[in-house]
Amino acid sequence: MPDFKRCAVAAALFSLHAIHAAAKPIAFAHGTTIMTEYGAGTMEEVQAFYAPFYWLSLGPGYLRLDSDQASRTRAIRYVRANLLVHRWNLDDAQANVFVWGGLGTATGSGFRDTRLDRNAGFQADFETRRIYASLMSDLHESSAYSHRIDTAQLGFAPYAHDYDDLAVWFVVQARQYTGRLHRGTEWAGLVRLFKGGAWLDAGLTRDGKPQIMMMFNF
Amino acid sequence: MRNSVMSVMLLVSSAGTASAATIEMDVNGLVCAFCAQGIEKTLRAFPATADVVVSLEKKLVAVATRDGQDIGDEELRKALTNAGYTVKAIRREDESLDDVRARLKSKQ
Repeated sequence: MPDFKRCAVAAALFSLHAIHAAAKPIAFAHGTTIMTEYGAGTMEEVQAFYAPFYWLSLGPGYLRLDSDQASRTRAIRYVRANLLVHRWNLDDAQANVFVWGGLGTATGSGFRDTRLDRNAGFQADFETRRIYASLMSDLHESSAYSHRIDTAQLGFAPYAHDYDDLAVWFVVQARQYTGRLHRGTEWAGLVRLFKGGAWLDAGLTRDGKPQIMMMFNF
Repeated sequence: MRNSVMSVMLLVSSAGTASAATIEMDVNGLVCAFCAQGIEKTLRAFPATADVVVSLEKKLVAVATRDGQDIGDEELRKALTNAGYTVKAIRREDESLDDVRARLKSKQ
């Protein structure tokens, strides 16, 4: 828990410097978001959220973790609620702060039986049509483990896309895992493409491992 | 007689597609096409909506309404607020939505 508190303070300081995210856990009122991510061999996640309001979404998720420091695996099935705490609609920018919480079940190689998993996190983002920045922290803990995945992204677009255009972004991602899942900071370079309701992030980490995220809104 | 039949045919054919008016809205926070889909989806759900145009460049959302129909300012403001955006101004123009599209393209 102290780690999480440190992260919350760091996030608050970070957001004061206008560092924020883009792939949002809430699309729009009455919209459904499906996200799937392959995180360089350490994490895989699938999520599906339905938003009854533009400030709330609910849905299930599945997270699998494979530690590169030990033969430790975790599989977590959860249900989560995402809340848009605040949105700033500015003339040429938008910024958001989301928080979420959920419960689930976890199985893994480092412990016996199924454990109750508790999930909490936040995301802050700021974007214009050419620049965006994000910070996200996702905590999972149970009686057998506690880990957090912290992700920061900074991106720029070579041109300002409009509503019907293919949007192209270049993104640098830094990710840290706590709970002895991965040593050090994992850096990745990504190309982000989106058009209509489809979104793709694809790239490589500094170790040459693939980092891929796909998202669909409808 | 032939002219009358032609006139009736023209009236019938135009009734289904013609737009009575175009409503333009200046919207804050319009920076990402992926995120702005909710605006189009919400506005197209109105029975009075004939077509919708969104311009991130001009921070503009334009709605063409069906012949003889309208959507009230409060309904529009509520729809965009519920989509997560802030409406700065709403105005009604005589211009068709195709003219709005052409104007937006010509100024790019």
